[in-house]
Amino acid sequence: MTKVVITADAAVRASAVRHTGPEHRREAYRVMEDALSQCGLSFSEIAYIVATGYGRMNVPFADRQITELSCHARGVASLFPNVRLAIDIGGQDAKALKIKDGRLVDFAMNDKCAAGTGRFLEVVAATLGLKVEELGPVSLRATKKVSISSTCTVFAQQEIIARLSEGVAVADVVAGLHDAVASRVAKMAGRLRVQPDVVFTGGVAKNVGVVRALEANLGCRVLVPADPLLSGALGAALLARETVLEAIAKGKPVARAERRLEETTFFR
Amino acid sequence: MPLFMGIDIGSRTTKGVVLKDGEIAASHLVDSGSDYARAAGELRERLLALAKARAEDVAYTVATGQRVSLPFVDETVDDIRCCARGMFRWLPSVRTIIDIGSQSSQVIRVSERGSVTNFVVSEKCAGGSGRFLDVIANVLRVSIEEVSRLSLESQHPVVFSTGCAVFGESEAISRVAEGISKEDIAAGVHEAVAAKVAALVSRVGMEPGCAVSGGGGLNAGLVRKIEEKLGVRLLVPPQPQLVNALGAAIMAAEKARAGGPANPARR
Repeated sequence: MTKVVITADAAVRASAVRHTGPEHRREAYRVMEDALSQCGLSFSEIAYIVATGYGRMNVPFADRQITELSCHARGVASLFPNVRLAIDIGGQDAKALKIKDGRLVDFAMNDKCAAGTGRFLEVVAATLGLKVEELGPVSLRATKKVSISSTCTVFAQQEIIARLSEGVAVADVVAGLHDAVASRVAKMAGRLRVQPDVVFTGGVAKNVGVVRALEANLGCRVLVPADPLLSGALGAALLARETVLEAIAKGKPVARAERRLEETTFFR
Repeated sequence: MPLFMGIDIGSRTTKGVVLKDGEIAASHLVDSGSDYARAAGELRERLLALAKARAEDVAYTVATGQRVSLPFVDETVDDIRCCARGMFRWLPSVRTIIDIGSQSSQVIRVSERGSVTNFVVSEKCAGGSGRFLDVIANVLRVSIEEVSRLSLESQHPVVFSTGCAVFGESEAISRVAEGISKEDIAAGVHEAVAAKVAALVSRVGMEPGCAVSGGGGLNAGLVRKIEEKLGVRLLVPPQPQLVNALGAAIMAAEKARAGGPANPARR
């Protein structure tokens, strides 16, 4: 997903989300247009733009690129000042950020294997014939959880089919799948020595089943922001603001990239 | 003349060998499907027909592979020992066996007498097994045999940024959309699987001669890539998929000679 947050001072004025798809640049443009029209601003009124995430180099109209680790830490700490551990599970990776006094001090991540990421849930939802949004509500009907491979998405798919053919209830299978994701991510986060407050962000945080499974695996409460998809973009907006404020404090001009907002594409 | 039967129940293919007077009297393989017990039963019927024998002619049956309760089996033996025993029969000079199945890979070190000295199993990730090749063959809309053949014709293999079969599938789709040839994508996935297999070999070390068994041994493209990674020539027995079943049949003969506990339910 590609997300935009526009802040005025430190308050959110507009936000927009779109599927990234193969055309990163075009979607970045479109989602920016969405956010601008939402708050009635023109592109020239935006003082500074920070791009983040794994496609951050494909935002031609950004002034600066900052890693998603820094932006997530900043965004989460602005929403939850006492955060010590942020867990971000996105569509393609999972990260655990150790945060102290609002700053990133350590991290662990998995972007090598689909297990323990949103991709795992997308694949297994398709195997079950469910929409990914349905997984959370369905899992709440579980009476027990079935043990499913947490190490490989492909093998988990096969296990699902085997369990269903044995007559295991779909809800119990889904609960097992959520536990597989949570146990894998909790193991990764364990390397950072987990302390509360724990905050969970990224698209997967919208799944109440994974939130509960994560709480069970970590043994503590897990906080989720109102819009868990936006914390990285929010952090980017706040870092953009700070870049401008720093320049002003030093009496220097703000170094902006000379770029226009226009629809561009990779492909010719 | 008593017969001895070995059955190897794989996650994809179930294989069987019948020994008569120390020689292979029959061998066969069937798709495992979703019911392993049924596949093994069918295979047994076929083996008996091929050996022109009746059920009571079989003195002892050993099964290996997936754990399934079968009424006609006297004993089950782990696939590591069966693989070592089967390979020792066909290629006695082999000290390192790389067994590549459709869902797992294992590397087995064997002594000059054919007994297992060390082994390592990879069964938690599809990336190091034949399964990753299946996934990419499916993206390219070709058979698993074809994807192997295509890989040998590549000029510029693509580099997969991942060893994960799920992420690899997405990468392959992107490469297809960019117009990269099937040959280069096929070579890339063989490279990725070979890298995982080579990493597995390094965990137990390698002593020449080395051989490949399992369905992976039928894939010339994969064998070549592993040879490149390891820097050694790899031997492939005549029927690499049957190695474990042959080992199981040899074990059956040995167990019968030693008066092992034949399954009373069978009698």
